[in-house]
Amino acid sequence: MKLDLAIAGQGAVTPAGIGLDALLEGRAVPVQAEASGRPGQTWPVLRVDLKAPAFAHWQREPRLRRASPITFFLVEAAAQALGDTTPEARAQTGLIVAYSAGCLTYSRRFYEQIVEQGQRSASPALFPETVFNSPVSHVATVLGLNGAAYALVGDEGAWVSALITASVWLKEGRVQQVLVLGAEEFDPLVLDAYRSARWLRQKGFLTSEGAAGILVRAANGSSTPTITSARDGFIYRTRKEASEAAQALIATADTAAPLLRTARHKWLAPLEEQLTKNRPPTPELPYLGEAFLASAAWRMLQAVSLLGPALPRLHLPVWGLNHQFGLLELSAAK
Amino acid sequence: MPGETDIVVTGIGAVTPLGETFAGSWDALIAGRDAQAPLELFDTSGCRCHTAASCRLPALDDLPAKIVRRFSRASRLALPAAREALAHAGLLDAAGRSSLRELPISVSTTAGGMAFGEDFARRVFAQQRAHLFDQVSRYLPQQQILDLQQTLGFRGHSVIIANACASGANAIGHAAALIATGAAECVLTGGFEAITELVYVGFDCLQATSTDKCRPFDVNRSGLMIGEAAAFLVLESAAHAARRSASPLCRLTGYGHSTDVFHLTQPKPDGGVLVEVMRAAVQQAGITPRDLAYINAHGTATQVNDGVEAGAYTTFLGDALGMTRISSTKAAIGHTLGAAGSIEALFAIAALRSGKLPPQLNLQTPIPEIAPALVGANESTENPQHVMSVNLGFGGSNAALVFSSAA
Repeated sequence: MKLDLAIAGQGAVTPAGIGLDALLEGRAVPVQAEASGRPGQTWPVLRVDLKAPAFAHWQREPRLRRASPITFFLVEAAAQALGDTTPEARAQTGLIVAYSAGCLTYSRRFYEQIVEQGQRSASPALFPETVFNSPVSHVATVLGLNGAAYALVGDEGAWVSALITASVWLKEGRVQQVLVLGAEEFDPLVLDAYRSARWLRQKGFLTSEGAAGILVRAANGSSTPTITSARDGFIYRTRKEASEAAQALIATADTAAPLLRTARHKWLAPLEEQLTKNRPPTPELPYLGEAFLASAAWRMLQAVSLLGPALPRLHLPVWGLNHQFGLLELSAAK
Repeated sequence: MPGETDIVVTGIGAVTPLGETFAGSWDALIAGRDAQAPLELFDTSGCRCHTAASCRLPALDDLPAKIVRRFSRASRLALPAAREALAHAGLLDAAGRSSLRELPISVSTTAGGMAFGEDFARRVFAQQRAHLFDQVSRYLPQQQILDLQQTLGFRGHSVIIANACASGANAIGHAAALIATGAAECVLTGGFEAITELVYVGFDCLQATSTDKCRPFDVNRSGLMIGEAAAFLVLESAAHAARRSASPLCRLTGYGHSTDVFHLTQPKPDGGVLVEVMRAAVQQAGITPRDLAYINAHGTATQVNDGVEAGAYTTFLGDALGMTRISSTKAAIGHTLGAAGSIEALFAIAALRSGKLPPQLNLQTPIPEIAPALVGANESTENPQHVMSVNLGFGGSNAALVFSSAA
């Protein structure tokens, strides 16, 4: 599907630091964290430093006094991507946020209260913050975006869905520009989930958290990097179906443009390696751990940074956790 | 819708607390039944409220039992509803699979298969290790989409919108936008929601649920009734429907959506954002508010929502208030959250096609400003041409859809 989205702004919140430079440098130091169900046993994880100066301003916002970490990641990434966008332009800006688990910390805390202390003890202050749409609402409020806003959920494929949705809004003329964000937050429960999926045994795999976002407009000959097209809907459940879907996806990528490897340290990495071994080598993207939609967004910003005269066009595979694969085509500024 | 693309509805299907099919649900709704009953899905002994509108799960006898056992309750609701919609549209083959191999899907939910997630969390909190992967791998919303895609035999672009209680309307509006911009010709769209403990207790601890009957737009309303449902529509371009000789049920002519940034859980007191959204929808449909024969209102029966919503209709309809009939069907089926926008759109479509209007159940003392507009028992309207479905959600998501007669 043709998208023709010009990238007009970028923002990132990562365990390596706040901002695009930190993302591109990609130097993050793991800390040890316990899983909920395995007291005493720890695994290395990559965490965002919520005490970083960039968050201080947002932590003083009255609207965000009860907000979850994922909200702070999103607000900061969104503010970076919006840059000096005027209030008038913000009123014409759509907002799309994609995640897989969403407000996991508060969801876990709220449900833990129910299980451990009883339904009568569940906190009415926590529940609204468990809703997928809450961080979207906070971002819209704090940054003055009161137009169209969607919370999308899914595996990493939801990043492609979000970009397609942005393209649809721009084609409809519903908004002049769209802020597209991806984010995840860490919670000890994530380690229990990954452990049960045996991902923590995968060599080099690290659990992570953060956010990233881009501000996109209709390209119309724009002089900025462009997301030219997207393919999605290559679905699978079993490993055999994943192999077939991946083959079908890679077959749609023309061989004239390099194809980045993005499955590093995932269980899909050997499959990606096998399917792309005859393609020209491409630079290895800095690894900031696995944080699903945040990772999908990080990888896109990292890929955009590679575009230039020597690399005017490239394909970026988006390997979804447990539903679908997609492929984005990116072009350098003209 | 924008451009020259006429968008038509060619199939609908639903599972609700009133019935295992859309037709059964509609008949019960028009007959004035409400589905409130003691909730038996989990222990509610620590809650204020102990009732809900839950569904009887349709049998899936044509599927192997081991497959059905793996489905979340959400999938058990969504599958029969989606299949009914595809069959109604003439898009289901003899084997019960979609005749369109490539079929984009735009759906909504707020909790997906959360009951599996809850079970996973309980096992983790208790430091149990058995069956953890089975639970955690199937609770996320994309797993219910995969259940639909693989069971009904289609693939393609998918979008899962989680805009709280307006999501269902957003999913339908987005499906229309995909068609209007040429990104798709035919889309399966709708929403699903299964009652889960986390969400039920959440609304209960906010004291948003009623221990009485659910009484939307009543002066003495005391809160909402949690419900569950799944509802699906087949939307396609009129040209696509004509090519396959499908008969349109109606047209989708308007969609408005916006974000009310007043408060996380409460609408702006003057209802201004909702009024703007409704105006945007009728403007896109090329009609005026007085052309609307019926509005299926959000009407949760909470003090704040219904007061603001009633005021918004007064502003929006002006002197047409009373000519345009209004009711909230949540009194009958409860608040179905991520499915609400979809099932309520289907009820609006049925009103458009039949002229029968869903009565405002459980009404004792109507809010005076909206009283002349509320639908009474056995009411009908002649030759309706346009209807609207309106939803508001946590986080300030507002959405309105306009459906117009097929002719």
